[in-house]
Amino acid sequence: MTNDALTRPGGTARADRLLDRNHDTGGAKVKSTRWRALLRKPETSSFIILCLAVVFFTLANDRFLSPLNLANLLAFLPELGIIALGMTLLLTAGEFDLSVGAVFAFCPVISMLLVQHAGIDLGLALIVGFALTAVIGLANGLFVTKIGISSFLVTLAMLLLVRGSTLFATQGFPLASFSGETILKPLLAGSFYVGEVRFHASIIWFALLAALAFYVLNYSKVGNWISAIGSNRNAAIARGVPADAVKIGLFIATSLLAALAGTISALRISSASPVAGDQYELEVIAMVVVGGTALTGGRGTIIGTIIGVFLLRIIRNGIVLVGVPGLAFNIFVGGLILVMLVVHAAMQKRSSRA
Amino acid sequence: MMREVLRLENVAKSFGSVQALRDVSLTVNTGEVVALLGDNGAGKSTLIKAISGLHGIDRGRIIVDGKEVTIRNPRDAMNLGIETIHQDSSLAVDLSIARNLFLGREPVKAAFLGPLAPLDLPQLKRQASDLLRRVGIRKNLDADAPIKALSGGERQSIAISRAMQFFAKIIILDEPTNNLGVEETHGVLRFIKEVRDAGHSVIYITHNIHHVFQVADRIVVMRQGTVVADIKAEGTSILEVEAIITGADLHELEVDARRS
Ligand SMILES: Nc1ncnc2c1ncn2[C@@H]1O[C@H](COP(=O)(O)OP(=O)(O)OP(=O)(O)O)[C@@H](O)[C@H]1O
Ligand SMILES: [Mg+2]
Repeated sequence: MTNDALTRPGGTARADRLLDRNHDTGGAKVKSTRWRALLRKPETSSFIILCLAVVFFTLANDRFLSPLNLANLLAFLPELGIIALGMTLLLTAGEFDLSVGAVFAFCPVISMLLVQHAGIDLGLALIVGFALTAVIGLANGLFVTKIGISSFLVTLAMLLLVRGSTLFATQGFPLASFSGETILKPLLAGSFYVGEVRFHASIIWFALLAALAFYVLNYSKVGNWISAIGSNRNAAIARGVPADAVKIGLFIATSLLAALAGTISALRISSASPVAGDQYELEVIAMVVVGGTALTGGRGTIIGTIIGVFLLRIIRNGIVLVGVPGLAFNIFVGGLILVMLVVHAAMQKRSSRA
Repeated sequence: MMREVLRLENVAKSFGSVQALRDVSLTVNTGEVVALLGDNGAGKSTLIKAISGLHGIDRGRIIVDGKEVTIRNPRDAMNLGIETIHQDSSLAVDLSIARNLFLGREPVKAAFLGPLAPLDLPQLKRQASDLLRRVGIRKNLDADAPIKALSGGERQSIAISRAMQFFAKIIILDEPTNNLGVEETHGVLRFIKEVRDAGHSVIYITHNIHHVFQVADRIVVMRQGTVVADIKAEGTSILEVEAIITGADLHELEVDARRS
């Protein structure tokens, strides 16, 4: 990041002087600007609030850091986190997807129905389930890019369509566990112990996918395109960036990640419920924007999203431990989201002029 | 030796009931600066958007280097050696200067990975810094700074340096000196001359006739979607050109000029 004075018009003389000073004091100056740049990043403020939350809950209730509570927290968190990764990329490109919660239930339910009624093997059933999910993502993408309907409307309609189909196909009843031997279960939902804390395989999937998403957004060619499309779509198109194809790909990826999360969840609790993932879309979008990704596109951060995922889960978990009545949860979550957005907006205003 | 690089024949384009271009014919030669003039709404931007692949044409032919081409999208145009700086902002303000400079043509390692290929970030940064220096942006701009932090004029300079870097055959500038200070404006005009001297061609759209006479070899005037004049810059005068643009009587203008 640059020193503000350097880039202001008419600030040249001042800038020159600054440069001289830079020269004199050498490394120290560079270091301090680097620190300031780090402080300005949206991830930093989210991270500070995350730390405060952890300290607060630890002091408020010593069960917060108990192995059992940590295991609970980490069992559930990656399932939302995996969806949030796709949502981050999509938001960075300037679109979002409200159908992820419905897809979360749809994929395992359809796969399970196939196993139970068509008698096919679970692996094959999941392939069909994921293929149908990809079609949902493709449809979202095509409606948004080729017909030009806003992603809010398209994915809202898709949410109702997919959730409705899932409910209708199951008549509203959850489907019993995936029985029988399959390597998929330990692979996707197995668990292991580190010390006294029980971890699920999903945390590893989340970590791997987060690393991939981080690479894609920050270091790959298509990541540059994603940010450019969200920042100024016409400019990106004028440079030959295939904006529509990128967006369609992101819609498909987001749907697939939601389906993966749903499948992991269904395997973990041995039940595929048609109402699973209800309102996850909002929770996930909240996680992403709390982490510092702009709802308006152009600026996305995977690190921020990971922080946001932890922050919202920890707050939900901690509030229970502190003894806040269940019905009052959302007051805190809503309040926190507002506070975070205000902080991000304030930082954003300070660091730029546009 | 002058050779024809671009020829348009009877190009037409409508937006619904608005006929933005009708029967536009135009040629551009190597090493030539063509100034494209005309009042607001004359169709200049529409014409260059057609050449740069932002929208198709309804009728007519586009010939590049003697071959008829179809320009379906900006990438087609770029591959034909046509680089454009559009009138409306052509930068992604959330991205860094370096990333903007190479948007759509990012240097990568492991290119076989396609869109997932890793950006060659050191190379990106080095080339960007070189470029900023070469274009004569003397202010100490950090290639990692986001465009958002730049002034309007600085942004314009970045857009122009981007068009320079790929040694395009034809560089199109749509009102590039808007928002620019005196020094930056001279930089742009100097850049146009350099490009011409290097044998490339420039289509230069502007409302500033004084600038036109400093750099243009030929002047093409559009009015209501069609070309109404195509004249050598040498041997014509500002008044004459103004008259053609507005469609006014040259004599009246001369009287006006003498009165004021
Ligand atoms: N996308 C569009 N949809 C509808 N009409 C358009 C569109 N683009 C341009 N036009 C119309 O076409 C005509 C030509 O516009 P154009 O932008 O080419 O003018 P211009 O010569 O570049 O003017 P200026 O000097 O103001 O930039 C105008 O009447 C404009 O309203
Ligand atoms: Mg124009």
